[in-house]
Order: sequence, then structure tokens, then C-alpha cells
Amino acid sequence: MSLSATDITIFLLSLSVILFFARGFGELFRFINQPIVIGEIIAGIILGPTILGTLFPGTFNSLFNQSEEVVTALNGITLLGVVMLLLVSGIEIDLSLVLRQSKVAVAISLLGILFPFSVGFLSAFFFPEFLGLSDYNMRLVFALFVGTALSITALPVVARTLMDLQIFKSEIGYLIMAAAMFNDLVGWIIFSIVLGMIGQNSGHSLPLSSLVFVIIGFMIFVLIFVRKIINYSLPFIQKRFTFPGGVLNFIFILGFLGAAFTEYIGIHAIFGVFIVGIAIGDSVHLKEETREIIYQFVTNIFAPLFFVSIGLRINFIEHFDPLIVSVFLVLAFIGKVVGCSLGAYWGGMNKNDSLIIGFGMNSRGAMEIVLGTLAFQYGLIDEKVFVALVIMALVTSISSAPIMNYYLKKAKAILSFHSLLKSETIIFSSANSKNDVIKELCKTVAAYHNLDFNVVHNNVMKREETISTGLEKHLAIPHARMSIKDTIIAVAIVKDGIDWNSFDNLPAKFIVLLLTPEDKPEVQLKLLSDIAKKFNDIKEIENIIASKDAKELIYKVKQLY
Amino acid sequence: MIFKKIGLAITFSPNGLPLLKTAIRLKKLFNSNLCLIHVGEKNPETESQINNLIEKAGISPNAFNLVWKKGDPAKSIIAAVTENNIDLLIAGALEKENVIKYYLGSVARTIMRESPCSVLIITNPGTEPEKFKQFCVSVDFSQLGETAVKKSYEFAKLENAIEFILVKEFEIPGLAITVYDSGSTDDTEKSKQEWQLEEEDKLKLFARELNLTGLDYRLVALLGKQGWEARNFVKENGSDLFVVPSHPKKLKFFDKLFQHDIEFILSQLPCSLLIIRN
Repeated sequence: MSLSATDITIFLLSLSVILFFARGFGELFRFINQPIVIGEIIAGIILGPTILGTLFPGTFNSLFNQSEEVVTALNGITLLGVVMLLLVSGIEIDLSLVLRQSKVAVAISLLGILFPFSVGFLSAFFFPEFLGLSDYNMRLVFALFVGTALSITALPVVARTLMDLQIFKSEIGYLIMAAAMFNDLVGWIIFSIVLGMIGQNSGHSLPLSSLVFVIIGFMIFVLIFVRKIINYSLPFIQKRFTFPGGVLNFIFILGFLGAAFTEYIGIHAIFGVFIVGIAIGDSVHLKEETREIIYQFVTNIFAPLFFVSIGLRINFIEHFDPLIVSVFLVLAFIGKVVGCSLGAYWGGMNKNDSLIIGFGMNSRGAMEIVLGTLAFQYGLIDEKVFVALVIMALVTSISSAPIMNYYLKKAKAILSFHSLLKSETIIFSSANSKNDVIKELCKTVAAYHNLDFNVVHNNVMKREETISTGLEKHLAIPHARMSIKDTIIAVAIVKDGIDWNSFDNLPAKFIVLLLTPEDKPEVQLKLLSDIAKKFNDIKEIENIIASKDAKELIYKVKQLY
Repeated sequence: MIFKKIGLAITFSPNGLPLLKTAIRLKKLFNSNLCLIHVGEKNPETESQINNLIEKAGISPNAFNLVWKKGDPAKSIIAAVTENNIDLLIAGALEKENVIKYYLGSVARTIMRESPCSVLIITNPGTEPEKFKQFCVSVDFSQLGETAVKKSYEFAKLENAIEFILVKEFEIPGLAITVYDSGSTDDTEKSKQEWQLEEEDKLKLFARELNLTGLDYRLVALLGKQGWEARNFVKENGSDLFVVPSHPKKLKFFDKLFQHDIEFILSQLPCSLLIIRN
């Protein structure tokens, strides 16, 4: 079977149309601060039978259904897309991070999988008709699949959201990333077992017990032995072969080999490539630069081909079943948000911050689509369920950022100067010595937060005696670490200024008292640097000093953020 | 006082004498006590060997006390540390051990991980002990981290060190993934630079809070894997003493298999290593 000249023309033409639309809609969605992948999926729906196929069936058929050969070629490319996508997913899992998580992260990870999985499994097992089960013999496998589909989290979408909300490098960001990585790992293992079980029903796979055995054996082999070999070979390859060509080839060769092997033994190809990806990504010798090149290459060329192809196969309007779609949506939200939030709450976070984690982990994005596509190809789910899954993936991904943003405004774990300012602890003082202002500030804080004035005052003065806390440009930040639970900030404005022994010899006018918990020394540094950074322009400080009352001051400070 | 009592396990290996000389040098430098530990049978032969060693090192018999221990070397040394209130244990170690030894654990590595007090590991003891000239301290913003900086700073001043560097590593897991969805390396690069500046600021403030005076210091913030980045920095910089704050930890086989943090440093020592413990 070979491609005729027409086939080749059409094939290449359709590829360029797919990429053109993928990029166009991707950029559009990026512009409105949404994940690019959402735009790509929507581009597919527009190019597919849903819109183009209905309005201009001729154009649609000649582009994407020209001949069997072209369809096969397109399928081959999209398979390659999925395999590469999973390679990247594996590489981005930081194994050592997953293995040494803090108590909270473990709680989030575990409940974030167990809870949605149980919700999905039980609903699908006992009420399969509401979730669109077509073949009753497959009830158990179907229930396992729904459980997995609900418990998956899309790491790339999560990462993007955290970056957009500027909490990637924060305690919450770190927790979400660690939990999402663990989630990915466990999710794909369960899904491989489910895929193996489907294969069993059609009679070309191993029995279940040996399947589990093979999966675990393969993981141990790759994650221990192959990982060591990769770790030893990478420095050699990077030194001796051309860079980045040599190392890129090495990675893809290993990935494809792993994929071929697992496909051969009856688990899907994606499992092998995913595990190999983890082994590669764990090596300290893999340069950040190499990672980025792989990501660029895969996500800008192959991933869009795959995501657009989703829409090319199915008519989304014809197969839209409002009942199934709403059941999936409700279950998805309940499962993931409740599960992860409970985990975070159980791990000791407050209600608001737990909800940030819950909604942060709710994005299903790309990974759900991969899962759904494979289940659809294997005949486990029909068009209606597939459409419901895609919509669920889109809705959970789009809603994640705005909802998180809402709770972030009230978050305790995200520390910044402006979020800690309280009008009750802002004073306009006429004191004329450093000691008097500090006394006044300590009194205000002690009264408002129910603390012992002497303890607060002694701690602050003790710190003040070592070296002056006067910074530049009228700013002074007296501070102390104390046995308190949450950080406390108070502000004094002294219009006439007080000598604070500052670097630039300017009198202090804007005085910030900063009290942080003694068991978290880093919080103090973070806030000190945050304040110093925001007020490095003397005009800003003069503007703040000119405030008439606390309300105006808070307003002006918030303008800076 | 930086350290009150120095402990050294004496061995009759080629490194035995140089290590003893180093311990004596540091005893004088810190003005501290010295406790020598020997694990093995106490008989006339070993006694004369020890006396021989002490004579060669040139230390008067009442300047130290000698403890005899029997049994598993690592466990016995750790027991002696607790019994004798030793707060700095000196040991020699190879820079890198072979694979089998790494997984089974050598005496030196076990001490590094599990000793309840601070440990000084000397990698290449010369016949005559030399001063440490280039200090590099790995900083975390914990209380132990502060102690580590203060102690090593005093140490560096006593040595008249020519270089004192504070290194702070910061890790941002999954950073490359953000390239994945936007397809833009520029955005990621920009964030990386912002975080770098933020960490440098924090490090500056950290050092300022500790009020370090008397010796110039340099600050370095590194983005990358904990343990691994600092180790490579020290190696490339050519420092001769690397200081790391670390709590004692019984290492499981699992941790060795999936290395992290201090294990990167312990498995391939970049130079002599001082582990600071409470």
C-alpha cells in the first residue's frame, strides 16, 4: 500500500490546515489567558464533522477522508503524537520529589486519587446507564475506567495555571505540583491495567494476575536499572555527540523502544514510553535546555496534530447527551475538588487554602483527552461518553484559574505585604524617637492581636540592638521572630521623620513592624525582600507617606501589586 | 567556642597519622578537648601501635583522652560520641566509593549520615595538615542553617580564609513544563530571572541578619536540584571546605536508590566536608 501523488498532496495539505488552525485558536486562547490546548481541541471541533463537515461536507471529506491511505497516515501521525506526549509527561515527573513529599502533599495526593476514583467507580458500577455504558458485560472495566478518568489531573495545564496566577514558586504551587505529579504516575498505572483488561476481553492479552505482575516488573526494571544506565550514559552522550542532536535521539530511541515493548506484551504503548520518560527525567544530567527543546518540539508540532484530530473523528453536536455530560461534570467536580481539598485540610491547611488546592488539581486538560481517545479506540466507551469526557476536560481546565484566583485573594499561604495590611494596625505617629515609635507599634499590635506587649517589645528591641533595621529611602522595617502562628504586620507613618541609622542617612518615615512565626524563618526573609523590592523607588514611599488615613494608605499599597 | 570537644576514630591505615595531625591542629585552633576513639581489641599490640602513632603525631599524653570500643565500627563510634559529649567528629573518606560499597554503606558514610554531632570529613589528608582557605557554605533558611553559617564564619576567621561563599540552592519542580503549554521559552526565562533575583535578595537579607563582620563574603543563588547544584559549584570553584547543615538521618536503601539532597554530596565528595548538626 503506497500513497499516490494526490494522497501525498492531500495528506500534507491537511497537516498544514490542522497546524494552521491549531496555532490560530491556540494563540487566541492564550490571549484570553486560557490553556493553548483548549484552543487546539476547539480548532479540531471546528474542522471536524461538527462544523466544517456539516456546512461544507465536500471540503471536509476531500481534506480528511480522501482515501483510506490518507486516513491511515493521519492516524499514524496522531499515534506518534500521543506517544511523544506521554514521553514528555514522563520526563516532567520528578521522581525524587514524588518520593519525599511532605505530609500535606501525601494527603492531597492520596485523597486526590482515592476519593474521585471511588466516586467514579461506584457511580459507574451501580448506575452505569446514567454514564452511558453500552456493553453490559464490560461493567467492571467501564467502572474502573470512569474512576481513573475522574482521578486524573493534567500536569501541563496545572503548571500553566500556576504560572499565570504567579504562584508557581510558592508553598501552594509546590504542593500542587508535587501532588499532580504523583497523581499522574498513579493514574497512568491504573489506566494501563484497565487497558490491559479491555484487551483481555477481546482475548489478546495476558490474564489479569500476570498483567499486574508484568506491569510492576517492567516498572522496577526501567525505574531502577534502565534509569541507572541512562544516568551514566547521559554525560557521555552530551560530551561526545553533537548537542542537542545526540541526546535528543537517545531519548526518543529509548522512548519508542519502551513503547514498542509494552505494546508487544499487551499493555498499551503509552505506558512504556511514559515509564521510560520518568527514568530519563530523573537524571540530574539531563539539562534544562534539553527538556525545553523536547517540549517545544513535541508540543508545537505533534501534540496539536493529536488534539485537533480528536475533533475530526466525532460530531460533537450529534453525540451531545446533556444527561451524560452533566453527570460527568458533577462527578468530576465533586470527586477531585472534594478529594484534594479534604486531603489538604487533613494535612493541616485552612479551608480557603484547601479549596485553592482542590480547584488547582481539578484541571483535566490534555491527559483526559488521551485517556478518552484510547478508551474510545478500544471500544470501551461510545461517542456520547467520549464527547462528555472532552467537554468535562474543557470545563474543568477553563474554570480552574478563575476559581483559584477568587480564593487566592483570601489565601493565608500566599504571603505578601499588601494582603497582611490591616487598617487597625496602621498608625500615624508624632513620636520623635525610634524607641517611642517601636513602643507605639508594639502596643497597637499587642492590643489588636491579643499578645503580651512586653514579649513583643522585648523581641523587637533585641533584634534592633544587633544591627539597625533602617533601610534606604525613609523605609525602616523593625522585625522579630516570635512564637506566633501567623505573620503580623503593622505600619507607622511619621511625617517628620526619625533617625534610624539608615544606610543613606535619611530619616525613617515609613516604618513597618514585621512579626513572623519563629518556626518558619524563611517567611521573614520572603516578606523583607518583598517589601524592599516593592518600595525601591523613593517616589512610591513619598506617595505612601502622604496618605491622609489608613484607608488611603492601603489603597495606595494595593496599587503597587 | 565553635566546638568544645573533637572526636577522632584512630585507625592504623595510611591516613591514620595525617588525620590525627589534623585533629591536633584543629584542637589547638578551636582551643577544644580531644577524644580519641579506637574500635577493636585492647591488647599489648594495639596499645603499642596507638602509642607509636601518638608519639609520631607529637602530642602529649595528657592533652587527650582515649576511649576503647568493641563491636561494629560505625555504631561504636556513634555511641562514643554520645557518651563523651563530642560535638565534632573527624573522619577520613574516599571521594567516591565503588557501587557495591555505596549500597552497602561504608563506616565513613554511615557516620556522615547518622552521627548525632557535627562531622568533618577530610578527603585528602596530606602528611602535614593544611589550613582551609576557601570556604563554601550551603545555606538553607532554617535555624540549623543559621548555626552553620555562624560556626563556619568563625572557623574561617580563625583560618584567615581567603574566600567565604554562601550558596543557596532553590528548586522549582516542573519548571520546564510551563514551556509546554504556552510554547514560549521567553516567559519561562523571564520568571526564572525574577526568581533568581528574589532568592539573591533573600540571601542578602539572611546574611545581613547574621551580622557577619571581619571577613568578606560572597553570595551565590543557584537554581537546580538540591544538593547536586551546590556540589558542582563547589567542585568547579575549587573550594577546599564545603559546609552543609543537615539533620542526622538513618538512610534507607530506597534513599540510596533514588538519590536526593545531601546524598548527591555524600556519594561524590567535592572536597573536605563539614556537616553541621545541633
